[in-house]
Amino acid sequence: MGIEQLLPAIAGMTWQHLVMIGIGLLLIYLAIARNYEPTLLLPIGFGAILVNIPLSSALTQIDPATGEAVEGILNIFFQAGIATEIFPLLIFIAIGAMIDFSPLFRNPSLLLFGAAAQFGIFLTMLLASLLGYDLREAASIGIIGAADGPTSIVVASRFAPNLLGPISVAAYSYMALVPIIQPPVIRLLTSRKERLIRMTGNNNKQISKKALIAFPIVVTIVAGIIAPSSLSLIGFLMFGNLVRECGVLNKLSLSAQNELASLVTLLLGITIASTMTAERFIRVDTLIIIALGLFAFVFDTFGGVIFAKFLNLFRKEGNKFNPMIGACGISAFPMSARVIHQMGQKEDPFNYLLMPAISANVGGQIGSVVAGGIILTLVPFFA
Amino acid sequence: MMTPIFEKALLIAAIGMAGIFLFMAIFYLLILALDRLMPFREEKPAEDFFEETGTEDEDN
Repeated sequence: MGIEQLLPAIAGMTWQHLVMIGIGLLLIYLAIARNYEPTLLLPIGFGAILVNIPLSSALTQIDPATGEAVEGILNIFFQAGIATEIFPLLIFIAIGAMIDFSPLFRNPSLLLFGAAAQFGIFLTMLLASLLGYDLREAASIGIIGAADGPTSIVVASRFAPNLLGPISVAAYSYMALVPIIQPPVIRLLTSRKERLIRMTGNNNKQISKKALIAFPIVVTIVAGIIAPSSLSLIGFLMFGNLVRECGVLNKLSLSAQNELASLVTLLLGITIASTMTAERFIRVDTLIIIALGLFAFVFDTFGGVIFAKFLNLFRKEGNKFNPMIGACGISAFPMSARVIHQMGQKEDPFNYLLMPAISANVGGQIGSVVAGGIILTLVPFFA
Repeated sequence: MMTPIFEKALLIAAIGMAGIFLFMAIFYLLILALDRLMPFREEKPAEDFFEETGTEDEDN
C-alpha cells in the first residue's frame, strides 16, 4: 500500500494548495498580531486552510466508492447563507443597531461627503471594464470601494459569485488598512493651511428621540419608493437602527449589536473561505482585483477630499470645511473618523475634528449602502 | 478604447454618482424636516412625574 492510499491528502497536495494555506496563515497572523479586522480575517484565514487540504470534508466531495456527491458543510453554509444573502443582511441588522444617527442630525450637510466618497466605486468599475471584465464583474469589483464588507458580499454574490473570495478579502483587508491608505492621499491633496482649518458645528445639540425613531422608517419608505431593489440593503440597516432607537427593545438591540453580529460574522467569514480554493483563488484575476480594490479606496478618499475643497470655494472664510473631513465619507466606521481626527491633532493639538469626522463617517455608512442599492438596480438594466 | 461595456459602465457611473447625491440630498432634507417637526424638548425627570401624580401605593 503506497502513500497515496494511506494519506491521500498528501498525495493530492500541490504547490497551489500550499500557497493558499500560507495565505490562510498570513490572514490569521494579520488578525491576531496586527488586529486587522480579526472578527473576519481570522475565520477567513482558518477557512482557507480548511478548504485547501485536498479531499477536505468541509467541501463537497465525490465519494469514490459510490460516485455520489457528499455535501460539505461549507458548501451548505454558502448555499444557505450567502447565495440567499441571509448572512450579509443579518449583519446589516447588527450594523443598523450599532449606528447612532444623531451626529448626522447635528451636522446634516456632512451627509453629502458620504456621496462624494463613493467616487472610487464607479471609477474602479470603469477601469475594470477597460481591463476586460464584463459589466457585472466590473460592478462587483468596483463595490470594494464601498468600504463596507456586507455590501460588497451582497453585490458580488449576486453578480459575480466566482469572484466573491478575492473581493471579500480585498474589501475587509483594505478596511483594516485605512490608517495606512488614507493619510498619504490626503496629504498629497491638501495644504497644511487646509489641514489646520477648524470646524465648529452643533456638536452639543440635543436631538429628539422621536426624530431618531422616525428617521429609519422614513428613509426606508423613501428609498423603497425611489429604488425598490435597494430595499433589502437599506431596509435591513434601518430595521436594525429602529430596534436600537425605539427604546422598548433594548435587550434585542444589544443582542443584535453583540451576539448576532459576532455569530453571523463568524459564519460569514468561514463560509466566504469556501470560495478560496486554490483553483479559484490562485489566478491573475485575484491580483488584479486586490490592486483594483486599493485603487477604489484611494479614489474614494480623493473624491471626498476634492468635494470638500470644491464646496470651500463657495463658503465664507471661517465657515470652511477642513477638506480632510471629506475622506471620512467612506464607510469604514469609525476607523476613518479616528484617522482624520488624529491627522488634525498632529497638525494642531487643539483642533478637534472628531465630531464632524464622525458625522461624515456615518454619512459614509449610508452612502455605501445606497451605492450598493443603486448598483443592484442599474447593472441588470445594462448588462 | 470605448468598448460597448466601457460605454455602459460610464453611463452607470454617471447615473450612479448622480443617484447617490440625489439620495443623500433627499436624506439631508428629511433630517432637516424631522428636526423641525420633532424638535428636542426637555423631558421631565421621572421623579418629578411621580411627585406630581403620586404612585398607586400612595393613592391606595
